[in-house]
Amino acid sequence: MNVTLAVKQYISKMIENSGPGMKVLLMDKETTSIVSVVYTQSEILQKEVYLFERIDSQSRDNMKHLKAICFLRPTKENVENLIQELRRPKYSVYFIYFSNVISKSEIKALAEADEQEVVAEVQEFYGDFIAVNPHLFSLNLSGVARGRSWEPTLLPRTTQGLTSVLLALKKCPMIRYQLSSDMAKRLGESVKQIITKEYELFDFRKTEVPPLLLIMDRSDDAITPLLNQWTYQAMVHELLGLNNNRIDLSRVPGISKELKEVVLSAENDEFYANNLYLNFGEIGTNIKNLMEDFQKKKPKEQQKLESISDMKAFVDNYPQFKKMSGTVSKHVTVVGELSRLVSERHLMEVSEVEQELACQNDHSSASQNVRRLLQNPRVSELDAVRLVMLYALRYERHSSSILPGLMEELNRKGVSERHRRMVTSMVEYGGKRVRGSDLINPQDAVAITKQFFKGLKGVENVYTQHAPLLQETLDQLIKGRLKDSQFPYLGPSSLRDRPQDIIVFVIGGATYEEALAVYNLNRTMPGVRIVLGGTTIHNTKRSESSTHGGVLRFALQPPQASQDGSRHHRYVNFCL
Amino acid sequence: MASSYPPPFEGTGEVKEGFLCPLCLKDLQSFYQLQEHYEEEHSGDDRHVRGQLKSLVQKAKKAKDKLLKRDGEDKPETGSYESFYYGGVDPYMWEPQELGATRNHMDFFKKHRAARIDHYVIEVNKLIIRLEKLTSFDRMNIDAGKIRAIEKSVVAWVSDSDVPFCPDCGNKFNLRNRRHHCRLCGSIMCRKCMEFVPLPLAYKLTSGTREARSVTGSQSQSQSPPTGGGGNVSGMGSRRGSISSLSSVTSMLEEKDDERIRCCLHCMDTLMKRQQKLEEKDHVPDIVKLYERLRLCMDKVDERAPEYIRMAESLNAGETTYNLDTAGGLRMEVQKYYELIDALSKKILTLGMKEEPQPHQKTLQLQRMVRYTATLFVQEKLLGLMSLPTKDKYEDLKEKRKQEQEMRLTQERLIAQVAQKRRQDSEKNRPAASTNGEAPQAPRAPRMTKAGGWLPSSDTLHTCGELEDPLLQQIDNIQSFLRQAKAAQRHDEVAMLEENLRQLQDEYDQQQTSLAIALSQRLAQEESLQQDELQRLEDREREHRAQSQAPGSQATYTWQGSLNLTDIGSLHGEEEGEEEVTPKAESSPLSMRAFPALTDQDEESPPRLRRLRGDVTPPGGEGQNSSSLNPFEEEDSTPVEDPSNPFFEEIQKEHKEVANGKKEYNPFEQEEGGEEEQGQAEGATGNPFEVKEENNEGNPFKEASGCTPPGASTNPFEGEDEEAMPDVDVIEEELLLQQIDNIRAYIFDAKLNGRLDEVELLSENLRELQRTLQEQKSKTH
Repeated sequence: MNVTLAVKQYISKMIENSGPGMKVLLMDKETTSIVSVVYTQSEILQKEVYLFERIDSQSRDNMKHLKAICFLRPTKENVENLIQELRRPKYSVYFIYFSNVISKSEIKALAEADEQEVVAEVQEFYGDFIAVNPHLFSLNLSGVARGRSWEPTLLPRTTQGLTSVLLALKKCPMIRYQLSSDMAKRLGESVKQIITKEYELFDFRKTEVPPLLLIMDRSDDAITPLLNQWTYQAMVHELLGLNNNRIDLSRVPGISKELKEVVLSAENDEFYANNLYLNFGEIGTNIKNLMEDFQKKKPKEQQKLESISDMKAFVDNYPQFKKMSGTVSKHVTVVGELSRLVSERHLMEVSEVEQELACQNDHSSASQNVRRLLQNPRVSELDAVRLVMLYALRYERHSSSILPGLMEELNRKGVSERHRRMVTSMVEYGGKRVRGSDLINPQDAVAITKQFFKGLKGVENVYTQHAPLLQETLDQLIKGRLKDSQFPYLGPSSLRDRPQDIIVFVIGGATYEEALAVYNLNRTMPGVRIVLGGTTIHNTKRSESSTHGGVLRFALQPPQASQDGSRHHRYVNFCL
Repeated sequence: MASSYPPPFEGTGEVKEGFLCPLCLKDLQSFYQLQEHYEEEHSGDDRHVRGQLKSLVQKAKKAKDKLLKRDGEDKPETGSYESFYYGGVDPYMWEPQELGATRNHMDFFKKHRAARIDHYVIEVNKLIIRLEKLTSFDRMNIDAGKIRAIEKSVVAWVSDSDVPFCPDCGNKFNLRNRRHHCRLCGSIMCRKCMEFVPLPLAYKLTSGTREARSVTGSQSQSQSPPTGGGGNVSGMGSRRGSISSLSSVTSMLEEKDDERIRCCLHCMDTLMKRQQKLEEKDHVPDIVKLYERLRLCMDKVDERAPEYIRMAESLNAGETTYNLDTAGGLRMEVQKYYELIDALSKKILTLGMKEEPQPHQKTLQLQRMVRYTATLFVQEKLLGLMSLPTKDKYEDLKEKRKQEQEMRLTQERLIAQVAQKRRQDSEKNRPAASTNGEAPQAPRAPRMTKAGGWLPSSDTLHTCGELEDPLLQQIDNIQSFLRQAKAAQRHDEVAMLEENLRQLQDEYDQQQTSLAIALSQRLAQEESLQQDELQRLEDREREHRAQSQAPGSQATYTWQGSLNLTDIGSLHGEEEGEEEVTPKAESSPLSMRAFPALTDQDEESPPRLRRLRGDVTPPGGEGQNSSSLNPFEEEDSTPVEDPSNPFFEEIQKEHKEVANGKKEYNPFEQEEGGEEEQGQAEGATGNPFEVKEENNEGNPFKEASGCTPPGASTNPFEGEDEEAMPDVDVIEEELLLQQIDNIRAYIFDAKLNGRLDEVELLSENLRELQRTLQEQKSKTH
């Protein structure tokens, strides 16, 4: 049930199959991210893979002394490129692996192109997803919805991704879907269809309790992605942008050359691994400890290494010291930048109000706070819009709603018309009418459970009061109390026992907050293993490539979208 | 090597002892006879040593399994892939997972490819054969019309009227855009789409016909031989005699055809592929050659480094499994490989850099990556290489470890005593069960049955002790084979044997402990039996006896127990061989016999040493050390096999003292240059006396104190302190050199990563170290 390991195993198997010698890895755009998220460069270099090439790249040279490992999605373009490649092979041997099911006719076409007999292997290895964490995967697809139904090309793509997860984990699950979402049902049916069609592939050893695939729709909980997060991984992703475990720090003022781009991988970085799910305050303390530890170990410039034992100690500690100094400077820089951004954007205040909106039921205080923040010039446009969205969702039908007044504030703040309209689209997307479950009802079991969990934790943290709806849903699912009326089974059979292996897929994208909830559930629930996935992993990161620097990512939507009727939905989905 | 017999677990029931030849099991009366026999009879069998080792290891394994009652229980294979990481979910909660689903399409692929390849091969062969025919006559000196006739006979030309447009570009043929025929397939194309096969290329292609044909044929399993098989005439085309050529009248408008053969795009393409294949077949680029060597070195490091680390760990823990010198040698070897890796990867990096034009950027990238990987490799492994203890430090470590072991032993003994007492108490209350208790308890404790014969037969104390236990014997055998394997440079065997040795030793330790417990149990039983018999005596007397017996029996027990326990200790790791003697010194008359023998040797050794000192140049290195050691090893090989016994240490100590002594004498020597030799002689003669004193005093003390650790611990410490004193101010040269080595490695590493501040810091240290070294050197001179 470890998706990272699943992909790693596939890749190391590919490399292993190709035997010794210098190798090149031929990939397409998507498989490049799939590989790079689970393997670091040095790791893969140790396996004698020295070059990484794109199959569609024209600048490749003839290198007959290399073996080529091709890891490609089975798309038309890839097959076509591969046929061209085989006609004029640039490498000595080709080991071809497709990340998903490929048709017989395409294999035949490839076979006929292989006149030089350079192909040594043609296989399907189902690593067709981005394994972000061991329990979290993404398909890196955005804008999957057109209105309330699927973007036609993306339903098959999502189905492929999801079935490849099932195959990689060797699970042939029962499927439950969110009744209120038509998209969830369509996806469930599509997956089921593949399972039926490729029944030979899905013929795994039967487990006592069959695994379960739960398909949900983001619209059921539109609030979670709107909240600022305070765990390390989530913050880095949100504020700095985490792309295949790499963050770009070149925007940080006064950054040194070697820290312009740093790699954060839980696998090679102990500090990161230990602090992935800790909140900002705790990380601050840990960073301080790390620094102190480092100071102790760091030999002072003036310090004479007087005795041989001093020297010996120095030499013995040197490798450790060297490794540590890299880690320390990296994390100090990252955390420093995070805290700079936090204070610059008043994220503490914003987050407090966000949490109040999401978790408490005091309309007058909430509306005052939102208004106050909107008037603060230093609160960013993004945060302002998000606050209004949250307010709109939360007090959608409140008798004395001040939403028109807030919209006016946004206008005064100079937020563009487009962004302001998103507030209404948001309500349409995730409003009460749409929701299948009780997202906002402070008196229900959700709140009680939340309170209970907080009580267990001891310290009430105002910035992390909110618990995503998913946590409650999964809790009920594990306890066997999730209502069939809300999440019906696909097909006649239903699960009698409590589920053990659960794969949750969120159409419209999962969040790091949900990933954290799943992580905690995994740790606290013995015998239960949950993997979370989504069409994407959300963040509202700013994009450098955007024409207006620092404008929200959703502003990147092509302009012609505003002409068609479903424009606002697409905006929202992109944003989500 | 000295003895061998089929272990009892093989079920032969026959137990042989004595000097048996390990190969033919012939009993020889003495060690020397055995050696002779071995050299005479089996000198040719050396090449089978490997096989023997294998069978021996298997035997040992079997023995272990049997003893542990877990035959054939293999550890499950785990971790064939990377282990989990801790970033997300607690991995402990999730069992390891197998490779995800896969589906292989190769069969289907091959089926379709085979059909295609057959076709392709035939095509290629056809072209080659035609090409051959076209080049097999002298194009220069034949009339153009004739050439055309020949060309037409090779392949039927498509008639002009059938082809109004160029099939490749679609242009209409007319007077200006004339038709051209491909000489290889007969098809028609326009001038623009026409290609030429230059004659040299044609010769090249056809010259390899025979070979190439067999290759392609076997690859595709095509059974169809090329038609018109007259093509085996390789290189038959005659060379041009002159530049002068006759142009044909008919092809006035065409270019001359005497130096090339025209053909269509498609045929040309096929031929070019063919040529490429031919070229690549024999060509091995430099980078591949270098890379192969690089990998070879890396493999070697992967193989040797763990071995070294194991040695260094063991040595640093004060164990005597390995030799310090071999470890040092291994370290040197590994470091040499690192240098080689560095040099090779550097060479790869700069391949083709000076050539014009510069290699393709991808080639450069490949070279950079290989270099980077090699650097990473060196960094990772080199920094993991721990340093070795220096000689003196090693002695300290050994001493420490010995004391620890003694401590442990006494503790175990105490525990056994307590347990025994408890048992005694409980058993006192119930009558003895039966006399069956006398029967040997377990087949794996043959020692038991011999308990009576143990003391008298111990003239051959050592041999006997060795033969006693199959495990011990295996240990011994393995050790000897280990030596052989080491000498034969069979590292894999060595590693395997070492592993086995360790397992066996562990096993033996365990067994001995349980044996001791079992023995004490049996003693308890005997005792109750005695009591049972005493019951027949008068009540009063019995009571009286019981009273007196209780303390008395305890005394006897401790006596016996200690005997056995120390015995365990002695067999335990063989390095503690000296302890064997200890308890007997107290308890048995026999040991008295053994003891004089030892003192004999002690007395004997100093003169010999003196002799050595006289002969050999004053101590300066290991050379002397070993030379002074060797006689001991040889001489004592029968009674004391392991060089790590106390003598060894004494010798080393002595050796060092000699060294120190020499240092003391050095200034003296300088003053009285002429008396140098004499001074040295004095130093040499003086030293053995010291040693002798120490040996006579220190050694017996230590031995005698086997039972009383406090006494033992004080004495060696004193000795050690005396020694350590001069070493305090003078840092050992070796350590310094090692540190310098290390720091150099770090500088190398830091430079590579461009951390200049560190480089500076490190070089500062390096200078410091070197200065210290200098100072010390000047001090010694």
